Amino acid sequence: MRIARVLLVLPGLAALAWGLILFGQFALPPGPQAFATAAWLIGGPVVHDVIVAPVVAIVALAVVRLSPQAWVAPLLTGAAVSGVLGLVSVPLLWREFGAAPMPGLHDRAVAPGLLVALGVVWALVLMAGIWRSRRATAPGAER
Amino acid sequence: MTARIGLWLAISFGLCFATGLLSHLIQHPPSWFTWPSRPVWLYRVTQGTHVISGIASIPLLLAKLWSVYPKLFERPVVRSVPHAVERLSILVLSASVFFELTTGLLNVAQNYPWNFYFPTVHYAVAWIAVGSLLVHIAVKLPVVRRALERTTDRKPEPKTTSGLSRRGFLRTTLLSTGAAVLATAGATVPWLRDVSVLSWRSDNGPQGVPVNRTAAAAGVLTSARDPEWRLEVVTSAATRSFTLAELRALPQTTAELPIACVEGWSANATWTGVALPDLLRATGAAPGVTVKVTSLENRGLYSRSTVPGEHTADPLTLLALDLNGGELDLDHGYPCRIIAPNRPGVLQTKWVRRLEVVA
Repeated sequence: MRIARVLLVLPGLAALAWGLILFGQFALPPGPQAFATAAWLIGGPVVHDVIVAPVVAIVALAVVRLSPQAWVAPLLTGAAVSGVLGLVSVPLLWREFGAAPMPGLHDRAVAPGLLVALGVVWALVLMAGIWRSRRATAPGAER
Repeated sequence: MTARIGLWLAISFGLCFATGLLSHLIQHPPSWFTWPSRPVWLYRVTQGTHVISGIASIPLLLAKLWSVYPKLFERPVVRSVPHAVERLSILVLSASVFFELTTGLLNVAQNYPWNFYFPTVHYAVAWIAVGSLLVHIAVKLPVVRRALERTTDRKPEPKTTSGLSRRGFLRTTLLSTGAAVLATAGATVPWLRDVSVLSWRSDNGPQGVPVNRTAAAAGVLTSARDPEWRLEVVTSAATRSFTLAELRALPQTTAELPIACVEGWSANATWTGVALPDLLRATGAAPGVTVKVTSLENRGLYSRSTVPGEHTADPLTLLALDLNGGELDLDHGYPCRIIAPNRPGVLQTKWVRRLEVVA
């Protein structure tokens, strides 16, 4: 175990140091680009910890409190999958800083595609919810 | 549970780092590095893996952080110096991984809400991310081992009365990851093309192949159609020039080669043109030399490239004149372009005006 830990720590510290050197070459002396990069770096954890995670917690709590037991898991899974699909589609939908569409690139209709995907996800949620409720109320069902 | 998701994330992020590093080495080769020209599809697979594993890492990272979110509110905030170092290292890890995943996702979407040059910063921060990831795994290794051993002698899981069970949480994580991959992987995986609703490539490109830079954007609309256009081939012995008709009169080679962009999309196509070894021999040079390619495009990243000896010796490296059975579209590099097997698309220079043997 100790050897394994040393074998991880040493290359880890070396990679970290090399990354910091490369980063320093780019960011020093600090200018507008370095400040923008710093904001993007710290923005991830801040946005996650202050906005994303609390919103997820509130939605999850609401689902758990307000929906019948059989529906909790399908609804939470559906919400998680929808959230991830939504996040991944943000750079494709919000194009204020996006390059113009090229022939064959970024020229698809993203919004209808996303709606179709969400439709499939929620149809599956509905099926799973109905199936689980029926199983829960069936005579002799395990409680 | 945290250990299990952490393991998945370490695998996907590790794959992402390794393939990204490879792509960096191919584009900026140090003296000790050579990249083979075969198999022709290798770069398509490695760069597709880079982008797909990066996208898979997004839900995995969110699930991982969700499973440890309560720890953020631990009191006291700092117990000791090692504890402070550990918390700080986790901040460095999460900041750098978030940075890599968000900037990477925005880059494949060609969306740049920042003022810095993406490749340089994405590359530097990748080393910080992978370094702090290795240190984090080393610190947590005893915990990880205990957790993974515990799950092997599996006890029946208690039924939870609310929320998701552990197994349910893992299932949701896998489903979210699968959904994100399915929704985007069609950018490079042909049979997913119609399934991936969030893919950034379509089949609407001229001759069925996407265009990342049009002739208009490159400013070559006039020069590429100029009847006075000649291809200059410079060797140590002489400089020869070829008209398009003269290039067509040389022996032609047809090859099915993928064009694979660093941004993760790829497309297979049938290219016809003069094999670079044939052209080199016709001008008195030997295949296997390094060749500098210059475009009609005057400035910028795409205006020149260097084809290493490994590729100039390969009979599938073409100076392409035709694409998918028709004359090369202006946006695909008319009158001629480089298409070499197993190379990033950014190095497949279009609207070629000059080839120069350098070694």
